[in-house]
Amino acid sequence: MVNLILKFVSCCRASDIRISTSEVLDCLTQLQLIDILDEEQFKAVLRSNFAKSRREQSRLDRIYHLFFHEMRQDMGIAERDSLSEHIEDIFDMLQEKAGEDEQLGAILDFISGDPLAYLRELRRIQREFQDSTGNTRFNLGPLASRLQMLINLNTTRGAIAQFLDDNHTHITRENRHNLMAHFNEYLDSAYAMLMNEPRPYEDNLRQVRAYEKRLEKLGEKSFSLLTQKEIEEMREIIELLVRRLKDIMSRRFVSNDRGVLDVKKTLRRAAKYQGVPVEIMFRKRPPRKGKIVTLCDVSSSVWSAARFMLNILYSLQECFTKVKSFIFVSGLTEVSEIFDKYEINQAIAKVLSEADIEYNVPTDYGETFRDFRKSHMDILNKKTTLIIIGDARSNYFSAEDGILEEMREKSRRVIWLNPEPEQTWYTGDSEMYAYKQHCNEVRPCRNLNQLLAFVEELIL
Amino acid sequence: MEFKSVSDVKNKLEKADYITSKEIATVVFLAEATNKPILVEGPAGVGKTELGKAVARSLNRKMIRLQCYEGLDESKALYEWEYAKQLLYTQMVKEKISDVVTGSGSLSEAVDRIADQEDAFFSERFIQPRPLLQAIVSDDPVVLLIDEVDKSDPEFEAFLLEILSDFQISIPELGTKKAIKIPFVILTSNNYRDMSDALKRRCVHVYIDYPDREIEMRIVSLKTPGIQERLLENIVDAIRDIRKLDLKKKPCISETLDWAQSLMALQIEDLSFEVILATLNVICKYRSDSDKVRDYLEKNHTSGNAAWSISS
Ligand SMILES: Nc1ncnc2c1ncn2[C@@H]1O[C@H](COP(=O)(O)OP(=O)(O)OP(=O)(O)O)[C@@H](O)[C@H]1O
Ligand SMILES: [Mg+2]
Repeated sequence: MVNLILKFVSCCRASDIRISTSEVLDCLTQLQLIDILDEEQFKAVLRSNFAKSRREQSRLDRIYHLFFHEMRQDMGIAERDSLSEHIEDIFDMLQEKAGEDEQLGAILDFISGDPLAYLRELRRIQREFQDSTGNTRFNLGPLASRLQMLINLNTTRGAIAQFLDDNHTHITRENRHNLMAHFNEYLDSAYAMLMNEPRPYEDNLRQVRAYEKRLEKLGEKSFSLLTQKEIEEMREIIELLVRRLKDIMSRRFVSNDRGVLDVKKTLRRAAKYQGVPVEIMFRKRPPRKGKIVTLCDVSSSVWSAARFMLNILYSLQECFTKVKSFIFVSGLTEVSEIFDKYEINQAIAKVLSEADIEYNVPTDYGETFRDFRKSHMDILNKKTTLIIIGDARSNYFSAEDGILEEMREKSRRVIWLNPEPEQTWYTGDSEMYAYKQHCNEVRPCRNLNQLLAFVEELIL
Repeated sequence: MEFKSVSDVKNKLEKADYITSKEIATVVFLAEATNKPILVEGPAGVGKTELGKAVARSLNRKMIRLQCYEGLDESKALYEWEYAKQLLYTQMVKEKISDVVTGSGSLSEAVDRIADQEDAFFSERFIQPRPLLQAIVSDDPVVLLIDEVDKSDPEFEAFLLEILSDFQISIPELGTKKAIKIPFVILTSNNYRDMSDALKRRCVHVYIDYPDREIEMRIVSLKTPGIQERLLENIVDAIRDIRKLDLKKKPCISETLDWAQSLMALQIEDLSFEVILATLNVICKYRSDSDKVRDYLEKNHTSGNAAWSISS
C-alpha cells in the first residue's frame, strides 16, 4: 500500500501538483482509519490530502483515474496465461527498439502500467513552452517535442501491429485481436493526455456575465463605437457615479465597527470630568484598503475601454492605498503618474504622445508578461488586486501563461476584463482560454454598464 | 461523543438534519480522528456553514463561530482588554494609591510600588475573550467554525496558522494558554482568493458542490415534511435547470427550501408555468435574473420541452 501511494504521489508531482512529505504521511495515517476497499472513501482521502484547492482537483482526478482505473483495467487480460507470454515478447521487442530513447522508454513504461516517466516527459514538454524566452518568440521547439511524442506513440502502435502480423502463425486470431485492443487502450489514453491537458474545473473561476442594465442606450453602447460627443457625455455620468460611490464609502466607515482604544483622546475627554474617563474614545477604523495594479492593452479597441477604467480608478484613489497602472503593446510602460497628475483628457493625450511605448508593433502578451516578471514582480503582494484589461490577442506569439500563474500566486486576486464579446474570446489568436485558468475572475467589459457593475463590486 | 466510522458520521449528521455525501462524511471522520482542521470550499449557499453547525450538533458540542472579514484583527478574534472597566477600577481605587505610595522615599520608589500593583489591572478580570480564546480555554471540547476565511487579510491568515499549529497563545501580561481539548476546527472559504500553502498543508480539504439530485431531494423533504413526491421532484429539477442558466446569483439550497416552503404554504400541488412565474422572486434575488429565467421558461414552455414546467 505504501509503495502504491508513493508511486501515485510521484505521478502527481510529475504533473505539477505540489504535495509535501507531511501530506503524504497524513494520507498514510488516514488510510489506516478507513475502509480502503470502499473506493469513495479511498478517493476522498487522496483528494482531501493531495489537492487542497478546487484548482488542483481536476488534475488530481485525472491522475487518479489514470493510475487506479486506466492502468489497471486490463489486468485480467495481462494475467491470462495465454497472453502474458506474448505480452512479455512484445515488451522485449519494444525495449530493444527503444534503446536509449527517453520518449520511447516512457511510452513503454506507460503501456506496461507505470505512467511516471511519461508524465515527466509531458511536463518537460509543457515546461519548454514556458521557459523558452529570448529570440524564439514563436516557440517551435516545444511544438517539435510534442510532435516527436506523437510520432513515437504511432511508432509504438505500428511496431506492435507489425509484431502481431509477423507472428500470425503462432498467435491465434482472437489473441491477436485481444492483444491489440489491450495496447490500444493504453496508447489511446497516452495520446489523449498528450493532446488535451486537463483544465481546472471552472466552477472555481468567477465568470461574471450578468449585470444590471442601469443606463439605457449609452450604457449599452460598445466603447469602441462611441462618438466624441458621447465620450463627453459619458464623462459626466462617470463623475456622478464616482461621487455616489464615494458617498456610500464614507457613510459606511462612519457606521463601521470601532477600532482600538485611543488613549490620548480618552484622557483629554476625561479632563472635562475631573479626570474620570466617562467617555471612552476609540480610533476610527481606517477605510478598507487595497492596492490596485492594472495592465492595459492600448491597441485601439481595448484602449477605448481602458481609458474609462483608468479614469474611474483614479477618481476613486482615496478608496485604495495605491493605484499603479501600466500600458502595453509589446512591453510595459508605467503611466500612474500621468493619470495621477492630469485630468483625464490631458492624461490620455499625454499617454498617447509622451509615454515611452511603441505603437507600431504587434501586441505581444508574452513579452509583456516577461517584462513584468523581470522588472515589476515585487509590486505584487497579497494585498494587490491585479486587473488586466485586454483582448488576449497575442498574434500567435507564445502566451507565457505560466508567468500569469506566478503573478496570481503573488497577488490577492487576478481579474481579467475583456472588451470583446464572449463569443469571440476563444477564436483566432486569442489566448483567453489559457489565461483564464489563472484568473480569479473574468468578465466581458465593453460598455459602461458592465464597467460600472465591475467597479461597484470592486469597491463595495 | 465521537464518530466511530464514516457511516456513523453520515448517520449522525443526518440525525442533526444535515444530508451529506460519503466523500464529505469521510473527510469529517478523518478530521475528527486526527485532530486536523477541515478547509471547506464551495459556491455560496451549498451548506458550508451549516456543516460546521451540524457537526457541533451531532457531537453534542458547543459551536464557537469566528466570522472573518477584511480588517479582522487579533483584538476581535482573540481577546481584548476591557479598557473601560480598567479605567473605572482605577478611579474607584484612586485613594488606595496614596496608601501604596506612603512612606516611599523617592519618586522612583513610589513608581516602583505602583508598578507592583500592575498585575491587578492586567488580570483575567479585565480580559474580554473573543472566539479563538474562548475555543482554547473552553473546558469542554468545542467546534470552532472559522467562517469565510478567504475574506480575512493575509496577516490574519498567518496569525491563524500559528494558532492552528499548536492551539496555544501567549498573552504577554498573563502567560501562555494551552487548549485543554483540541477544538474541531472547520474553515470555510468561498474562493474569493487563494489560501496560503502553509494553511492548506495543515488542513484536510473538501469541496462542496451543489448537491446532486437525490441529495437535494432528501434535503428538501427533510426540511419540508409532508411535501408531495411529484412536487418535490419538479422543484428540484427546475432548480437544477435554472442553475445552469447564466445568472448573477444562482439559486442555492436555501432558495430551494424557501421555494418549497412557499409553494406548500400556498397549497400548490403542481408546478405549472404560471406558478413558477408568480413565485420567481423567491428564487431570484435580482431583476435581471428573473428576466432571464422568464425568457428561458417562455421559450421552453411553448416548445414544451422543459419537463418540469409542464409535467402537470
Ligand atoms: N446538506 C444539507 N442538509 C440540510 N440542509 C442543508 C444542507 N446544505 C445546505 N442546507 C441548508 O441550506 C442553507 C444554506 O447553507 P449555508 O448557509 O451553510 O451555506 P454556505 O455554504 O455557508 O453559504 P455562504 O457561502 O453563502 O456562506 C442552510 O441554512 C441549510 O438549511
Ligand atoms: Mg456560510
